[in-house]
Amino acid sequence: MKYVTTIEAREYTVEILDERHVAVDGVLYEIDFVPVNNQPVYSLIVNGESFDAHVYPDEEIWQVLFQGNLYTARVEDEREKRLRATLGSATSEREEFLLKAPMPGMVVSVPGQPGQRVQKGDVLLILESMKMQNELKSPRDGLVGRVRVDPGDRVEKKDTLLSVI
Amino acid sequence: MFNKVLVANRGEIAVRILRACRELGIRTVAVYSDADRQALHVRYADEAYRLGPAPSRDSYLRGDKIIEIAHKSGAGAIHPGYGFLAERADFAAACIDSGIVFIGPRPSAIAAMGDKAIARLTVARAGVTVVPGTEGEGSLHDEELLSIAPQIGFPLLIKATAGGGGKGMREVSCLEEMPALLAAARREAEASFGDRNVYLEKLVEGARHIEVQILADSAGNVIHLGERECSIQRRHQKLLEESPSPFIGEDEEFRQKLGAVAVRAAQAVNYENAGTIEFLVDKDKNFYFLEMNTRLQVEHPITELVTGIDIVKEQIRIARGRQLRHKQEEIHHKGWAIECRINAEDPYNDFIPSTGRITHTLLPTGPGVRVDTGVYIGFEVTPFYDSLISKLIVWGETRGEAILRMRCALDEYKIIGVRTNIPFHQRLMDSHRFMGAQYDTRFVEERFLIHAAEESKSNRPEIAAIVATLVAHQQTERAAHVIQHGERDTSNWKWLGRWERLHK
Repeated sequence: MKYVTTIEAREYTVEILDERHVAVDGVLYEIDFVPVNNQPVYSLIVNGESFDAHVYPDEEIWQVLFQGNLYTARVEDEREKRLRATLGSATSEREEFLLKAPMPGMVVSVPGQPGQRVQKGDVLLILESMKMQNELKSPRDGLVGRVRVDPGDRVEKKDTLLSVI
Repeated sequence: MFNKVLVANRGEIAVRILRACRELGIRTVAVYSDADRQALHVRYADEAYRLGPAPSRDSYLRGDKIIEIAHKSGAGAIHPGYGFLAERADFAAACIDSGIVFIGPRPSAIAAMGDKAIARLTVARAGVTVVPGTEGEGSLHDEELLSIAPQIGFPLLIKATAGGGGKGMREVSCLEEMPALLAAARREAEASFGDRNVYLEKLVEGARHIEVQILADSAGNVIHLGERECSIQRRHQKLLEESPSPFIGEDEEFRQKLGAVAVRAAQAVNYENAGTIEFLVDKDKNFYFLEMNTRLQVEHPITELVTGIDIVKEQIRIARGRQLRHKQEEIHHKGWAIECRINAEDPYNDFIPSTGRITHTLLPTGPGVRVDTGVYIGFEVTPFYDSLISKLIVWGETRGEAILRMRCALDEYKIIGVRTNIPFHQRLMDSHRFMGAQYDTRFVEERFLIHAAEESKSNRPEIAAIVATLVAHQQTERAAHVIQHGERDTSNWKWLGRWERLHK
């Protein structure tokens, strides 16, 4: 099975040959790969070298953390890669931006009101979590669309708070 | 004299205090919110009582309820830890009024040092230099602050009068941006301390944040236990501390001078129990009083490791009316200690807080390694309290050995279920500037990049590619496996629908 794995804009062709062998860009590696204790932690022995890695799935990518370094990886088989290449950058700049809660917390205030013109970097909403007030800012210029929360509301991670159109 | 102590706190510090009480043969009482029913401090204490719902104001800030529980349980003293009620003079006074010993300073000393503006005026009168600012002016309106600001000069800091821990603090580089920052600082100060008052202070550039631990008994004896270097901060939140300060190093004369000034500041408010005097020290070793923390500090363990003195037990002895066991000349420092604060926050995503259930953890051990923690497997990290989940502290004969030990310990430390700042500390331990002690309070924000992976010699993207590919491959295989063997998921109808679609 052949995959194209992208890390920080560099593509690696990773071929899984059998349970014990992979080839990365044609170079053969002897591997022993086991999940630890049903956790998102994996122990990998590569050509005798031992690594302990955390792997976090995040939407369409994988975050791999080991030895104090975090790598963001996109893993695609050849068909998926072709598909994405044809779809390309179909997502437009003008698409509605949904501000989602990056963490659970309580809404302190909503400076961005419906219909208000905002610029990139303007504070849309202030969310308190773990005793810190976090200013959530607009990633681009636009108009504030629907505001779905009020000050005092408790929100969960990834809840949609408001939109910028 | 009391034989039972109520610990009015949670998390790692509650556990730390419970341990000290147990060693002294004192019975312990824990209090908890609904979010903390399963917390370690509840399980370690001899007795535990519910305070109320999860938010702090309904639980750990309910001084009235805590005093009521102390009476009900027969606790003769209350230890407030840090944060929550630790620096509330009214709470300390309420304890004393109801016949309960408050393990900390007298209410008058908390009040004098708690109002940062009054504190600066008090120590200035005792001959201690302070950073230029609006000290002793009382509470000022925005217009007044805006008119004084140019006299102090930019850059300057807006600080909460009742503040601490970087909350209600904003840095101002010019007059134009000041009104908005004043509003933000007041809002945060009100949310954190219930007090909107702020004051201004000149920003000392290239400064180091160095603090001195002091101990004072009821007979008026005051000693200092040397300094802690706390310049590794982000948004005025300390992330790593070490003792001694590499900036003071072998300069024993400077250390004793700083210590003597700290003792004088404590005496100026007739201080009793453990406390910390914070200083800003510039590159020419000029030092300015910043504030006094009238409580146990988060970073107290590094002083314990280099002096051999258990500060929490000393606090309890002092509160029991005993005199200090040591004279100043009997305090000696041995070796080097470093503490890394392990916070539930994502260092790769602007340090935003991370919550969730801890599904797996592996603690570092070995010579010279200490972990103070309040979490365990199965514990839920909630958004209600601060993000500190544990403190990793190491001791070494030299600074070099301490750094090497910290590196190993960080590598061993596994916490799964929430994101932590462990990778941040690992990167810091590899930084040449940190190793060479070339840092000031701006280091993390201005000179430190967690994403600079290419600089790291341990960069192994091909290994990451193998891991990610194998995990993704296993997931695909598992999904395929389910279909192949007809191992359907919960709904047969859903499976039938899929099957029909496939065969159309």
